[in-house]
Amino acid sequence: MTATDTRHAAGKAWTPDPGAVIQADALTLRYTAKIIALDELTVKIAPGITGLIGANGAGKSTLIKILLGLLPPTAGHAAVLGRDCVTSGYEIRTLTGYMPEHDCLPPDMSATELVTHLGRMSGLPATAARERAADSLRHVGLYEERYRQIGTYSTGMKQRVKLAQALVGDPRLLLLDEPTNGLDPAGRTAMLELIGRIGAEFGISIMVASHLLGEIEQICDHLVAIEGGRLLRADTISSVTQASAVLLVEVDEGTEQLAAELTRRGLSPVAYERGLLIQLAGDETYDAIRDAVADLGLPLSRMERRRHRIEELFRTDPALAGETIGVGSVS
Amino acid sequence: MSADAQAAGLPAPQVESGVIHDIGYRRYDAQRLGRAQIVRALTWHSLRSAFGIGRGARAKIFPVLLFVLISLPAVVNAVAMATNHGQGAIVTYDDYIPSLRAVSMLIFIALAAPNLVSGDLRYHTLPLYFARPISRIDYPMAKLAAFIIACLVMLEIPEIILYIGIVTQVHGAGQVWDQTKQLGPGLLYGAAWAVLLASIGLLLASTTGKRVFAICAVGIPLFFSYIVANVLMHIGQQAFGPAGPGQPSALSSLAGLLSPFTLLGGLLHWLRAPVSALGPGHAQQTIIGNYGPVYGVVFVLVLAVAIGGLLARYRKVAVA
Repeated sequence: MTATDTRHAAGKAWTPDPGAVIQADALTLRYTAKIIALDELTVKIAPGITGLIGANGAGKSTLIKILLGLLPPTAGHAAVLGRDCVTSGYEIRTLTGYMPEHDCLPPDMSATELVTHLGRMSGLPATAARERAADSLRHVGLYEERYRQIGTYSTGMKQRVKLAQALVGDPRLLLLDEPTNGLDPAGRTAMLELIGRIGAEFGISIMVASHLLGEIEQICDHLVAIEGGRLLRADTISSVTQASAVLLVEVDEGTEQLAAELTRRGLSPVAYERGLLIQLAGDETYDAIRDAVADLGLPLSRMERRRHRIEELFRTDPALAGETIGVGSVS
Repeated sequence: MSADAQAAGLPAPQVESGVIHDIGYRRYDAQRLGRAQIVRALTWHSLRSAFGIGRGARAKIFPVLLFVLISLPAVVNAVAMATNHGQGAIVTYDDYIPSLRAVSMLIFIALAAPNLVSGDLRYHTLPLYFARPISRIDYPMAKLAAFIIACLVMLEIPEIILYIGIVTQVHGAGQVWDQTKQLGPGLLYGAAWAVLLASIGLLLASTTGKRVFAICAVGIPLFFSYIVANVLMHIGQQAFGPAGPGQPSALSSLAGLLSPFTLLGGLLHWLRAPVSALGPGHAQQTIIGNYGPVYGVVFVLVLAVAIGGLLARYRKVAVA
């Protein structure tokens, strides 16, 4: 390399932010001219638990592959723990635990055997791998069962083994792809509690990819929403909850009358299923609705604050569109 | 189970799965293995799986039976030499017994190769490997190294048994040295078998994730190509006249290229062909005629294609 080349390279060099756990800078991945998995995604994620929200096909798994250094981006940059994903893949994979979305466990091995083996593959010496495999499996709540073949496990137990194998190498960051996949409601709650506990007590940063916002908002500090490979929103969970808080109001009759009255009072109701969605600005919104319903004498059957679902974040209704679209960063 | 747990000092006997116990999280700050050591660990793990070690007694039946079978000539030779004094060796290091070797190795490769690769493909375990600090080439290379070593165990240990059986019966350092000089090429030729068969076997086995299909994917092509090559060699000798003095017909000379086993046989004929006083083309009275170099080239080509194909196979497989 000549001196000119070196200067040129140094001029072009991209320096990751050492404070960010995950960083993407105009990150683009094009499979073909038409199929774009990630489109100029720019986001910075601070330590803690971050929810990566997006519908199926939004680019969540592609982003994880790039972050693990397994897929080179077409353009832009990505970094994990201050290390460039293109040049420091090995180092990143030493520091990162990954839990895939789909089944990935051989049924003819015991959990202990598998997690020990994968611990060795993470670079642990034999004795350390055995100890940490036993620890990891205990942390996820598997005890005597760990000597049984994985083929005999329930879905919930298999998800725990997948989490344990991600944890075995003592990662600084966990990338969890749809960890509650296939679990019943009780199993989901238990898995989320476990993830929350790992993030809070073990001092490990976590990125949880999910298509269910309502589910992971309970445990996340930050939220990154992507759609069509683009950043939709990146913020702390509390501000997301604030900004997109909506009220669902249902009356047994006279929905249109009520909508007109609310519009007259300066609100912008949107028809949603059998009721109206109204952007919640504060107590005055409740007062306005109460007064409108009382003045019209309508039979109010329901008025509730909505749980946020991913679809609502993505809705383009005027009531919801205001705050949800924009490029930002969590820091 | 719970008695064991108590004995081992584990928490309360009324442990339910799903309850998280606070045992504190321990960091790992000690030395980590480098990429080369991880690959070595994977190679060792794969080598064990080739022989069914850590998989229960049933998985070990066939490897053990095949090892006994392939070692028989060496053992019979030792017994024959021990009971009939003055009896020379009846088995050579390089040739061994080609057909017995071919059949034993065919069965061994068809049964063992799927053990190394099928499970990870079928159960989509590969993303767990690729998310770790190894590269995409490391995985197939570790598998290949492990399988070559497994084949070496099957091929070279009988050679060593043969050697020990002979040197305990010969007299004088000169004769022992003579045997040692012959063992060298025998071991090298065994290595050629191991490298070629392991590469072809793994490539064929990695085409499918289902174990039974993988056994067929390896066994059927190897078996039929071996039959076809032998039949064609025979037809070549019967139906066509010799190509020249001491020369078999081109058909029988080239038919051996069709199967890895006969390819290896031809390779041996070429490599040890004596140079004739009559000049080239006269002394090579083996089935391969003058086509020896073709066997050498095809051996290298097939090996390159098999290894390249194996690497390409794992470059294509889904990462995550």
